[in-house]
Amino acid sequence: MAAEAVVTAVDVGMTVEQIAATQLGMKAMGAGVAVGLTGIGAGVAEMAIGSAAVGATAENKDVFGLVLLLTVIPETIVIFGLVVALLLLFV
Amino acid sequence: MVGVSGISAPYIYICTRMRVRKTTLLPREEYMRMLNMSLPEITRFIGETHYKQEIDELGTTFHGIDLIEVALSWNLAKEYQKILEITPGTLKQFTQAYLRRWDIQNVLTILRGKMQGEKAGKIKEVLIPAGVLDRLILDRLLAEDNTDKIVESLKAYRMYPLVFAREYPLAKESGSFSKLENALYKQFYAEIIEEAGSGIKGGNLFLQFIRLEIDIKNMKTLFRLRADTFEEDAREMCISGGTLTSSDFVSLNAIKNQDEFIDLLKSKIWHKALLTLLEELRSEKTIRDIEIRLTRVQLDQMERMSKRHPISIHPILVYLEKKKYEVFNLRALARGKESKLPSDRIAEYLVM
Repeated sequence: MAAEAVVTAVDVGMTVEQIAATQLGMKAMGAGVAVGLTGIGAGVAEMAIGSAAVGATAENKDVFGLVLLLTVIPETIVIFGLVVALLLLFV
Repeated sequence: MVGVSGISAPYIYICTRMRVRKTTLLPREEYMRMLNMSLPEITRFIGETHYKQEIDELGTTFHGIDLIEVALSWNLAKEYQKILEITPGTLKQFTQAYLRRWDIQNVLTILRGKMQGEKAGKIKEVLIPAGVLDRLILDRLLAEDNTDKIVESLKAYRMYPLVFAREYPLAKESGSFSKLENALYKQFYAEIIEEAGSGIKGGNLFLQFIRLEIDIKNMKTLFRLRADTFEEDAREMCISGGTLTSSDFVSLNAIKNQDEFIDLLKSKIWHKALLTLLEELRSEKTIRDIEIRLTRVQLDQMERMSKRHPISIHPILVYLEKKKYEVFNLRALARGKESKLPSDRIAEYLVM
């Protein structure tokens, strides 16, 4: 790994410290993208479910608990994104 | 906000509301129970459902069959006005266009009532202000002295001025508003078809719904004309815009043999459910039975369309139609009980 890094460093004219910093930056960006995109995905999904949930609750208040549960199910996508981000940053 | 699929949140909201509201309509079992009840029991039963507010409000003013009639009308009008209030964007435009039929019905009721010298209060009891002309406007029309002034006032509300200008003098002369009624409904359908086909998003789905309704209406008219002994000009009765053209309509009406009539009608219609029904109608049936069966097929097809397009104008229109038939059923039940008709006879009039 270190030898590859040196070879690469020689090829592109970067020091080992610069390469380590770039790798850390890439990981951080990957983590950001994982959380950001899953957040957008969950938002889009929740828009539809949330609108339907509000509509159903407006007609029948008894379903509030059930529709609240259904509305937050897409949040699991963000949790997956968060787990991926944590794995990227700390493992 | 528009989602990825191009469907906005308010559309999902209103379509869900309509679907939930549809589940609150009375099921078949409740009608069967009501068939075994007396009129006061039916009133009490209705008073425990979503008609409670109207029954409570009107309970001190009206009694018996009048109480049920007026409460049902008020509830239907309130329900339709509420839906108009909460419906967003183009769905509102389509719903408004669809509900204009109630304006025609109300205006014709007022004209007929005034022509026969009925009191304004009596006419008001049978009005259903579910269209664009609300209770206030209808009160203003009711306050007019004669039919000429009513027609004059209608100009302010863009209520088919050309049709009134053409047909009203003839109707007044003959003393019958039936031709004016036909012309108004034909114009109503022509306008909603034009509106649906004007390129507005979702217009195609609205058009499908209207076409099915026109087809069923034309078929009902054809069966009525067959049962009728009077010779009528068939072309005038046909509503354009559906699958059947005016010439199809005239040629179908000219056929006297039932089998030939059904065969030709089947060759013009492409709805699978209608084709099956037409096959069943080969044997002689009463006109009432035919009409009820056609209405059931229409509601069934509308329901299927609303399931195929869950976020569209269809769930709203299906609810409007089903609510209308619930009110018609309850009215038929109450009227039947009032006239002391046997339960199985009343059941024949119900669309369940």
